[in-house]
Amino acid sequence: MHKRHNSSHIIPFILGGVVLYFISGIVDELRVYQGASIAVYVVAISSIILLTGYSGQVSLGNGALMAVGAYAAAVSHITWHFPIVLSFFVAVLAAALGGALLGAAAARLTGPYLAGTTLALAIGLPSLANQFSILGGEQGLLFDVGFPPLSLGESFTQYKWFFWIAALATLIMMWLLQNILRSRYGRTWRAGRGNEVAAQLSGINTGRSKILAFTLSAGLAGLAGAMLSMTIGTVSPSAFPLALSFSLLTGAVLSGITTLGGVMIGAVTLVAIPEVADVLAHRLGSSESVTTNLPGLMVSALLIVTVLFVPNGPVEQHRARAAKKLAQK
Amino acid sequence: MKAMNRRKLITASAVLAIVGLAATAIPAQAAEVGVSSTEIKLGMTLPMTGTASLGYNKIPGAAKAYFDYLNANGGINGRKVTLVVKDDRYVPTEAVSKTNELILKDKVMALMAPLGTANVKAVASSVNPARRGVPVLFVNTGFSGFADTKKYPTTYTVLPSYVMEAKIMGQYIKENFAGKKIGLLYQDDDFGTDALAGFKTAGVDFAVKVAYASGSQGAAAAAGWITKFKAAEADVVILFGVSSATSAMLGTAAQLKYAPQWMLGSVGGDATTIKLTGVPAGVLYNAIGFSPVPATTDMKDEYVKLFSDIYAKAFPGSAFDLNVLLGMNTAFMTAQALKAAGQNPTRKSLMAAIDSKGATFANSALVPAGYSATSHVGLTGYWVGKYSPTGDLAPVGGTYVAYTTDSGAGAVVKSTYKRPAMPAKGLPN
Repeated sequence: MHKRHNSSHIIPFILGGVVLYFISGIVDELRVYQGASIAVYVVAISSIILLTGYSGQVSLGNGALMAVGAYAAAVSHITWHFPIVLSFFVAVLAAALGGALLGAAAARLTGPYLAGTTLALAIGLPSLANQFSILGGEQGLLFDVGFPPLSLGESFTQYKWFFWIAALATLIMMWLLQNILRSRYGRTWRAGRGNEVAAQLSGINTGRSKILAFTLSAGLAGLAGAMLSMTIGTVSPSAFPLALSFSLLTGAVLSGITTLGGVMIGAVTLVAIPEVADVLAHRLGSSESVTTNLPGLMVSALLIVTVLFVPNGPVEQHRARAAKKLAQK
Repeated sequence: MKAMNRRKLITASAVLAIVGLAATAIPAQAAEVGVSSTEIKLGMTLPMTGTASLGYNKIPGAAKAYFDYLNANGGINGRKVTLVVKDDRYVPTEAVSKTNELILKDKVMALMAPLGTANVKAVASSVNPARRGVPVLFVNTGFSGFADTKKYPTTYTVLPSYVMEAKIMGQYIKENFAGKKIGLLYQDDDFGTDALAGFKTAGVDFAVKVAYASGSQGAAAAAGWITKFKAAEADVVILFGVSSATSAMLGTAAQLKYAPQWMLGSVGGDATTIKLTGVPAGVLYNAIGFSPVPATTDMKDEYVKLFSDIYAKAFPGSAFDLNVLLGMNTAFMTAQALKAAGQNPTRKSLMAAIDSKGATFANSALVPAGYSATSHVGLTGYWVGKYSPTGDLAPVGGTYVAYTTDSGAGAVVKSTYKRPAMPAKGLPN
């Protein structure tokens, strides 16, 4: 058993990348755009799963940390003319720094107090952008990663370019994250989440461990923020409303908050719901008010069903059932 | 074993996602996207839900009501005009995704009246309708920058710009409130920047300027604004903000018994919307207001009469307000553009039609439109009126006095524009 390396192999991720590459060539542009959105959500939801599912801290402020990353990326790209890859790194670092500061405060808080603090951040932080003219106020900044290189051909669309960048960043991030979660850090987080006192007794510095989780989670959120603003071409406070933080949390719950394995489920659901709602409303020939409110209703209903029947998420549920079956044999 | 299962599951969920993505086939294309032998399809994004939707969510219904009327009367050369509406909740991310759906999935011929400066900008940058050749007709924002044909070659404005409005307000102040202390409430973004530029050109000196960040407006904030206006002893207070800011200000002022001479910008000046938030009509009484189109209560006006009849049939019991009138007016102008675009309209011929004939399109506005081969500027001025005791904007003494100007350094002049008679039955001719 110990022969097998405990790290996650890179091969599935490379294979995944190759598959995505071919898919991006055959689907139409709207799907490619949605693929990029899914990539954004995958990273953003992973950030919540890492924080809440693994280290046991609640954060309602992911949207705010995404905003930090997005602004850092845009400012470094526009003001200092950083190449796009570098500005993505800046996004991760800036958000991680913010996360470390927040984490230092958060390590002293638990449960509703932590939720309240991060909620305040989600509400307040994005509108801070209005106070500094370098951040472009309410209208925000244009964040233009540029046209795809000409060598890719004339028919290579902008969205395909976004998708490639987003998918690559996501695959790399997910691979890193998978390995971190399987490492000593992942175990200390889970130990701290399970029973903080027991974890402390076994020599884990739970305070430090929590801050580290917060920092990493914030870094991921920052990357997601930079990717989001790349796909919409701008960074502005209104792109990071409180509703974003909530829908990400919803996505995390749908994915199964204690495991990274189902993160695709939440991400795809968040992107697919409006479209499914649209089709449904059309079939039913319903009025405008039904059409506009249906997506919210569907998400809420899904959330309730998930919490009622598969509280740990469909993936964890399936795994538990499989394990049970195995034990019965 | 556990690791195996997990990997299986990851693979399974990835495959599922991929299948989902690939599931939709690409529909066949007609001669021009969005135009078939029986239908012309247009798309609109705007906030239909959420706080920013107040009042604006009546626009799609109003536009659809006009198009239904048009379709019942033969449509455009036998083609029905349909409008696909998507809710963007006033979030740029949503505006981009919904516009993508409109262009790439619903395959609309043109975008019509997308709302909000930040959203239109995000869409221009990410979706880039210009690069796709998609016309963006009559954006629902007064930001002067959208008339820049180099930056936004396929975008047409319709509302007079915020710069024009501020210049006209400045002129009115000079003529009527010389020597008085003037206060200004404005939104701290492009909306406000445009306004400040206009006031500067008009040479207005403010005793006090209060900026608010979009989204921060509310009763508590309004109490703070009032303190500042009171401290500066402002005689005239201009509210150059969105409806929610105007409403918060007037509502709080009523409670605090603060009553300077109000002057309301057109963006936040729709009486029905303000009254809906619980502001008593009396507070609006004698406030000065601005509008490019006739008073919504002016049933002697042929457009107001026809549009309100059409709207009342489509939405019995719903108030006919400024948002409705502007929505129907935009739909009417769009119909004329489509008609002028020829037997088989294309995106190119549609834009060419506005360039060549847009300035002569019949519409309810009391000021001229500025479209030409080199200009995508829409309406170019406002008439000035006062709110009645019931809180409705009406011309003083019953006659409309309109001013016209540009978004640059041009002078503000009394408009001599004579609105042409409405085409028969309000249909494009």
